Amino acid sequence: MTTQPAVQISGVHKRFSGRTRRSPARVALDGFDLTVRPGEFLCLLGPSGCGKSTLLNMLAGFSLPDEGSVLVDGEPVTGPGPDRGVLFQTPMLFPWLTTRDNVLYGPRARHRLDAQARERADALLASVGLADSADAFPHQLSGGMRHRAAFARVLVNRPRLLLMDEPFGALDAISRVAMQRFLLELWERDRITIVFVTHDVEEAALLGDRVCVMTGSPGRTRALIDIDLPRPRRLQDTETLEFVRLKRRIREALEAEAA
Amino acid sequence: MTTQLDAPDRFLVGSHAGEPSDAARPARVVPWRRLGYGLLGVVLAAALWELVAAILDDPVTLPSVQATVHTFREYLSTSYPAGGRTLFGHAMVSAARILAGWTAGVVAGIVIGGVMASLRPVRFLLDPLIEITRPLPPLAFIPLFIVWFGIGELPKFLLILVGVVPIMIIATVSALDTVPTELIQAGRSLGASPVWALVTVRLRAALPPIITGMRIAMGGAWTSIVAVELIAATSGLGYLINNAGVNLQTPLVISGILAISVLGIVFDGLLRLLHRLADPASR
Repeated sequence: MTTQPAVQISGVHKRFSGRTRRSPARVALDGFDLTVRPGEFLCLLGPSGCGKSTLLNMLAGFSLPDEGSVLVDGEPVTGPGPDRGVLFQTPMLFPWLTTRDNVLYGPRARHRLDAQARERADALLASVGLADSADAFPHQLSGGMRHRAAFARVLVNRPRLLLMDEPFGALDAISRVAMQRFLLELWERDRITIVFVTHDVEEAALLGDRVCVMTGSPGRTRALIDIDLPRPRRLQDTETLEFVRLKRRIREALEAEAA
Repeated sequence: MTTQLDAPDRFLVGSHAGEPSDAARPARVVPWRRLGYGLLGVVLAAALWELVAAILDDPVTLPSVQATVHTFREYLSTSYPAGGRTLFGHAMVSAARILAGWTAGVVAGIVIGGVMASLRPVRFLLDPLIEITRPLPPLAFIPLFIVWFGIGELPKFLLILVGVVPIMIIATVSALDTVPTELIQAGRSLGASPVWALVTVRLRAALPPIITGMRIAMGGAWTSIVAVELIAATSGLGYLINNAGVNLQTPLVISGILAISVLGIVFDGLLRLLHRLADPASR
């Protein structure tokens, strides 16, 4: 194989010290391995507390593994950086900045704010449907618009990797479907490598190329399931027999762990 | 005293804020109605005052509104006591004391609070001290400060500090504590260095509740300064009120009170303006 994996996680251990001196340290991840191919859409699925967010935090560089290595494009992760775009459960826009200035935060922080960056920000805002809301503040936007603004803010940095931690979990069902469609279109267009954390079986099957089903604490890979549904995918695909069959496989993998 | 007037969840901008559609919310309309009712309330209170004054018919107990306004305007340019400062001059003396003490207290409180929010040992060290001093009314220190520092400007300055600093420390610590970790992480992962993220995200996000703390502290500062001027001063609005009261010049007493009110409104208005500039969501 000639292409380098986009993400290579090998033998990662991570434990968190207990609250009191006597309570034992909690092992979040115990020898975790995972490889993500360039341009792949990988979903991490598991019950809460299985370490999937811990894993994402290590990819983002917010925390470091106790043992093992986390490589992004062959380089070890040492801290947060603009090459890895992070989308949180809530959009985490800066409430004191307009939508445009939120998008320009990255270029400004990296001291790369020039006419080109401004043009790119405006183009991105237009592409996520927020051209008319560029001068609005986050509190004036609807939930879905805030999520799309967060996308534009991350994409302006041209990240190699998008890390998403249950990004649509707090949205209502209708907005969530709209955001899933939006994300699929975006990924079809740019083919950025995506690691997507979710606890929603249907969401994982609809979005991902592969679904990594994780076991409970300490976190290990239970199953890696290929989602070989044709692209581009649409919401109607969720009603096909193959889709339902895949969903059942994922669910069985999840439940086998519980038993 | 709670300083968490700004709800900690003002950053959690999920979809449950009740937006009806995917359209931008309209800007808030200027509440003229509210302003009208507010003015009506003031006018009614003045009318009640005038009515009671007319019934009592005793300017020493309660002068009429007109007499008070007349006195107010007269003493703006007339010295009181004779050879001393005008009402305007006394107001400026009090305002200067307030601004000096409050500014120093705000700066000190923000610095100490910032260090406490960042360094756990410092926090553990100072927390009990603040908890011990917080319930004490600053006024309890007046006799002590007079014994220690006399009746010059120093005890007045220190008394304001006693009131302002703990409020600002608590406001700053809680403001910095409520900034979500994810917001700082968002800044870092967008390319901000730790220092850049500290300044442009953590401190910036904490600014609106800190300004709210500054407003509360301003109220406390006025309480302190007027009280100490009543007891140990030869200038300032508190001194004027006390002196006029002793001489049964009730219209002048009320004029002094009104002057405090006007200054308080002006200072608070400026701080509210600052808060609006700092927090677009409150506009």
